[in-house]
This record gives sequence, C-alpha cells and structure tokens, in this order.
Amino acid sequence: MIRTEELLLNVGPQHPSTHGVFRIIVKLDGEVITEAIPVMGYLHRGTEKLAEDLNFTQIIPYTDRMDYVSAMTNNYVLCHAVETMMGLEIPERAEFMRLIVMELQRVASHLVWWGTYLLDIGAMSPFLYAFRDREIIIDLFNELCGARLTYNYMRVGGVKWDAPEGWLDKVRDFIPYMEKKLDEYNNLVGGNEIFLARIKGIGKYDAQTAIDYGLSGANLRCTGVDWDLRKAEPYSLYNRFEFDVPLGKTGDCYDRYLIRLEELRQSLRILKQALEQMPSSGEVMGKVPRVIRPPAGEVYVRIESPRGEIGCHIVSKGKAEPYRLKFRRPSFVNLQILPKLLVGETMTNLITILGGIDIVVGEVDA
Amino acid sequence: MKGLLKGLGVTFKAMTAKKITTSYPDVPFVMPDRFRGIQHFEPDKCIVCNQCARICPTECITLTGKANPDPEKKGKVIDTYDINFEICILCDLCTEVCPTEAIVMTNNFELASYSRDDLFKDREWLDSNNHNVRKDNNNIGAPAAAKGGAK
Amino acid sequence: MSENEEQNKEQNTEQNTEQNTEQNTEQNTEQNTEQNKPASSAEQAEVSISAEPSIVAETTAAPAVDPEREAKLKAAAEAREARAAAKAKAESEAAPEEPKTPSPKQPLLDETVALIRSLVSEDAVEEAYINEMNAHMPVIVVKGDCWSEVAQLMKTHPTLDCDYLRNVTGVDYETHMEAVYHLVSLQSKQDYAMKVKTDRETPSIASATPIWATANWNEREIFDLLGIDFPGHPDMRRIMMPDDWVGHPLRKDYEPLDPEV
Repeated sequence: MIRTEELLLNVGPQHPSTHGVFRIIVKLDGEVITEAIPVMGYLHRGTEKLAEDLNFTQIIPYTDRMDYVSAMTNNYVLCHAVETMMGLEIPERAEFMRLIVMELQRVASHLVWWGTYLLDIGAMSPFLYAFRDREIIIDLFNELCGARLTYNYMRVGGVKWDAPEGWLDKVRDFIPYMEKKLDEYNNLVGGNEIFLARIKGIGKYDAQTAIDYGLSGANLRCTGVDWDLRKAEPYSLYNRFEFDVPLGKTGDCYDRYLIRLEELRQSLRILKQALEQMPSSGEVMGKVPRVIRPPAGEVYVRIESPRGEIGCHIVSKGKAEPYRLKFRRPSFVNLQILPKLLVGETMTNLITILGGIDIVVGEVDA
Repeated sequence: MKGLLKGLGVTFKAMTAKKITTSYPDVPFVMPDRFRGIQHFEPDKCIVCNQCARICPTECITLTGKANPDPEKKGKVIDTYDINFEICILCDLCTEVCPTEAIVMTNNFELASYSRDDLFKDREWLDSNNHNVRKDNNNIGAPAAAKGGAK
Repeated sequence: MSENEEQNKEQNTEQNTEQNTEQNTEQNTEQNTEQNKPASSAEQAEVSISAEPSIVAETTAAPAVDPEREAKLKAAAEAREARAAAKAKAESEAAPEEPKTPSPKQPLLDETVALIRSLVSEDAVEEAYINEMNAHMPVIVVKGDCWSEVAQLMKTHPTLDCDYLRNVTGVDYETHMEAVYHLVSLQSKQDYAMKVKTDRETPSIASATPIWATANWNEREIFDLLGIDFPGHPDMRRIMMPDDWVGHPLRKDYEPLDPEV
C-alpha cells in the first residue's frame, strides 16, 4: 500500500518568482496545496520609524524605495499629504509635470509586471520586450531628474526640475510607439493557447470577498466593482481628462491580465491629453516656507498607484518631523487574500496566482 | 494553434529588427547631464554652513571647519569633509541646499571597489573628482545671482 | 504698602481673567498672550515712576519685577483655566457665534453619532468632530468596550454601509495608544475615521477581523510594531519582525539593541 504524507515546502525567501524576498510555507498533499502561510519581513527597513526623526523633504528619498517599481506615485502620496495638511497651492505646470510623470510610471510599472508575470509562467521573450520598452521610459526619467529608479523628484509644493529641452517631444513620440508595441504584445501572447490554458479560471474570487479583504487596484476591478481612485475620489488633475476604467467580470487571473494591459492603454490616452493641455511655461515650485512645518492634526490621503490604493496617514504635532507616518501599502493589503486563494490549487498555479496579485516586496514590508 | 503561430510571427519579425543592445564596458555609457553620480567638492567655495550635513537623510556627510587663516577675512574655511559612501543614497539634497555650489554631483557612477575603506571619500578625493561635473544643478539654496553659471 | 501691592495684584489678575474670558469667546489665545506682553513691558518702563498709575493701567500690575512675573504666571494659569472653561461652555452650547463656519459634513456626523448612540449604547461615542484639514472627514472616537458593536453597525447598517476598511493605523501617544480605522462606503463614497483609544500598560482593542477581513494583517502589524493586543483575532503573531524578537519597535520608548542601526 502506498503511504502518503504531508510535505512542508518552503517557497523560500530566495526565489526568482516571488518578486522579492518573500517566503511562503506551503503544506502539500501530492501536488495540491492544503495550506499556505506567507512569511514576510525580510525586507523590513523601518521606514515608518525612521520617518519620525526626519523632516519631510528628507523622507522623500525613503518613499522612493518602498515600492521601487513605481516610485513616483510614492513620492506623490507623501507630498500630497503634506500639501493637504498645509493647504498649499501647486502651480499648474508643476501639477501637469507630476501627472505626466505618474502616468509614465504607471506604464513602466505595468510593463515590469507584464514581463515578469510571463517570465514566471514560462515565456522568456516577453520579458525582454517589456524591459526594452521600459528602458525608454527609464531613460526619459534619467534625463528629467537624474536617476533611473529612485527619483526623489517631487517636493512639497511642486517638483524639483522642469522638463529639459525636447523632453516633452520625446514623451509625445513615445506614445504611438508604445501603442504599436501593445498591439504586438497582444499578438505575441494574447492568443497563445498555452498561456490561456494556464491563466483562465485560476484564482477566482467574487466581489464580496474582494471588498471584504480590502483589495484595490486591478485586483478589485477584476470582479466588476467600479472603484478607481482617479475617478471615485479625484486628486491632482485627473478630473480634466477622459479615460475609461476597465472592469472585469469573472475575477480570475485572466481578467486581471486584461485589465492591466487595458490600463496601460488608457494611461497612454491620458498622457496624450495631458501633453496637449499642459501650459507651456510656468513655475514648477509653489510658494513654500523654508522649513516645512505642517500644523498639528492628522490627515489620510490616498491615490491610485499601479498596484492599488496607496495611502499616507500623517499625525503631526506641529513640528518639522511627523509624529507618526504610516503608509497604507497596496501590496501588503492585497496579499492577504493569498492564503485563501491557494487552498486546493496545485503548485504550478501558486506562481500564477502570486504573480497575478502583482506585489512588490519592498512595499509589503516597508 | 493559431495563437502560437501569431506569436512566433512576432518573434521572427523581431529577429530582423534593429538591435538595441549596447556593448557597455567597451563603449562607455554617456549619462544625461542631470544624472546623480558621486559628488565633486570644491573646498574654496565652501563656507562651512553645515546645510548639507543637516539635510542629508542618512547623515553620511561629516565636516569640520577651521577659522580662516587669513586674519582679515571673516568666516570659516573647510578643514575636513568626508562622505561615507557606504550610506550615501545619491539623492542630491546636499547639492540642492548648498548656497555656494561647493558640492555638486558628477556623472560618475562606476565606483565599485574591492575594500570598504575605499568607500569613505575624503576631501582630496572629492576635490580631484572633477570629470563629468554636472552642469544643471537647479540649486534652490543658491541666491539668484550665483545661478548665472548653471544652465 | 506691600498689602496694597498684593491687593492690586489680586484685583488686576481678576480683571485680567475677566478680560480673558470676554476675549476668548471671540479671539484666539495667541492674541491674548500677545496683548499681555506689550502691556506688561510698557509697565516695566513705568515701574520706576510709581505704583499708583499702574492701577489705572489695563492689565497685570506690580511695582517690582519678581511679583510682576509671578502675577504674569498666575494670570496665565488662570487664563488657561478660564479658556478651558470657556471652550467647554462654547462646545456644549454648540457655539452659534463661532467665527468658523460649521463644516458641510457636520449634519452627517451628527446623524451618524445619533445613530450609533441610539443603536449601540448611549456612551459609545466619546467624541466626534470633523477633520477639516482632511477634506472634512468625520472622525468619531469610540469607547473601547463598544468598538465591536459599533464596527458591526457601521458595516451592516443600510445608511452607513461602510463595507470597505481602508486602513488601520496604530499611533503611540505617550499617554495612551490609539488605533485609527479608516472606513469608506463604496456606494456613497463617504469616508469615516473611527478612533479607539486604549491605555499603554496593557493595550487591547477588540479585533475587527471578524467584521472586515482586511483588518487581519493590519492588526498583526500593529501588534508587532506597537504591542496592542487584539482579542478575537484568529492568528495573533508577529508579522514583520522575526518571531523571537523582544519589544515593540514603533513605540516611542523603544531602545534598539544596536544603537547604530
């Protein structure tokens, strides 16, 4: 007779497909998962504790490093929080620069997600194509603010640099190029039967579960809930532009895949409109006191990052440093559904589901 | 089957397209002007105001000043100036607040070394690091008159 | 003469507090202290002349520097009490002549508070105010014992319908600790902030995990970094720090093992 035992497998901290140092302890019965316990904290750098000693301009480089794939949105959430507290007005050109940069960042982040997701599933060429196109965006950012990944670009009251000569034209040329590439990606992967068989029907959940677990971003919209913070609670200048919010129906990985690619296309649409409406000259930094000291009180602002709702809760006692700074990180909250989704799946689907949630471990741990 | 063939078609087209690979170590990579590399320090311009040390988020700059050896001039002169490059995050906040543009970033980023001691950059090294100095500094600390040179 | 001085002092401090209460219903406290200061400095100039004219002068009076300072301190302390009394009076009257216009969300807040008070318990809500800085978000401070029921009410009641828990933050004020729950209703787009206070020695707040599953890891993180216990949580253990870590790093009095870190 064959005796079966439960196997305890460590999808260990060092793993190419866990998108960072992230560990899942998986109890297996054959190839079927009976229980999954995520363990995190390997990348915990204590940003929230460090922030209690630094003033706000000094915290901005630290926010870059939380969700390093989408650093501009992190910069923005902190600057937006402080500006809400102090009631500052941002000059229009600065706001446009911020919006253009954030939408470019969304495109770049979704490209990273697309490339690495397909790499996890087993396809190698989409990864290189995605990174080739992301390289163009990163080079644009390099010209703009001097760094490829950790930009430290936004400041309380505006942005640091104005666009150099010819930068806006380069962005303008990038948009049709990227749209053509998106069609190419759909040809490459979208109809591929192997890919569809691996993704359709995996990791399903319904709208009530999604709302209960506090999911946000594409993870929430794949179930059909229409909640995009750019439309529901508009911030910055998003209410001036027309764009659609793609919604899914079934709540499985395939819907999330399609939604993210469609979001990429909509971001390009917003970029086109923003470049047309942008004022051709203006200040990029508003009138800010030399020492940034928000009045006592607390504030919670939230924006839509490529991964979901990123929020910043600041409690201030009127000093130049925050008394308590907390980031509501979307990857952290989105990851809670993982143990629930994995029960009853096979090991191969674990990687598919984990990639579909789109986490960045720097954000999970902060 | 059709989806697979379409995908293969894209791959074959890419085989004949122009390559974008650069042969990096043989062909040096030119960074745009605003790139934040290691700093360059000019001791003559420094007025020992300590702003850079104060704003550094990781506290990697330490400096000491001494009284000006010229008895007529007032103010301090820089004596030692160290950047602990193990913790410098190249955020360029120090260049932003320097009122005299004594510290600026360069475009040098190839700084790997075999020992940790080499990563503690002192004043002489930073002074001699004057290749590829960044021109566009956008210095909010500098008074408007001094900005004539940059950009 | 010294008796006179003391009587003068008492009279003038009384006058001072009366003026303070009058001024307080309309003005800020800063203006008060500012008015005090120039008057008393003007009086120091008069000191050398005589004590008599200072009785006629408006605010604190004393011929020498030390009693004047004492009088100032005493006046400030009494002014503070008077201010607090005036503020309490103004709040309980719902101050119709407040210079600030009442927030547009105030009626909503009052409705919500009344709902909670009627359906859960009379003393469930300790404080309720509008956070103007944050786009007028209603903030409700809930008593710790009633938190579970209030949370259940916020989620299931058809007008409130707060089905989405956005964020749970733990804050360590040095005297007490607090957890802030940010809720939003996806249908009406109305957001609330619910605060629950707890003391520092044995901090414990009823867990919201049975009601919103989002709270699961958020509360684990707060337990890990701040030490607030959440009875009713299905899996209370550390999440970020290693399992055998001693201490709660985000507390204000935390001593790191390695000071250089």
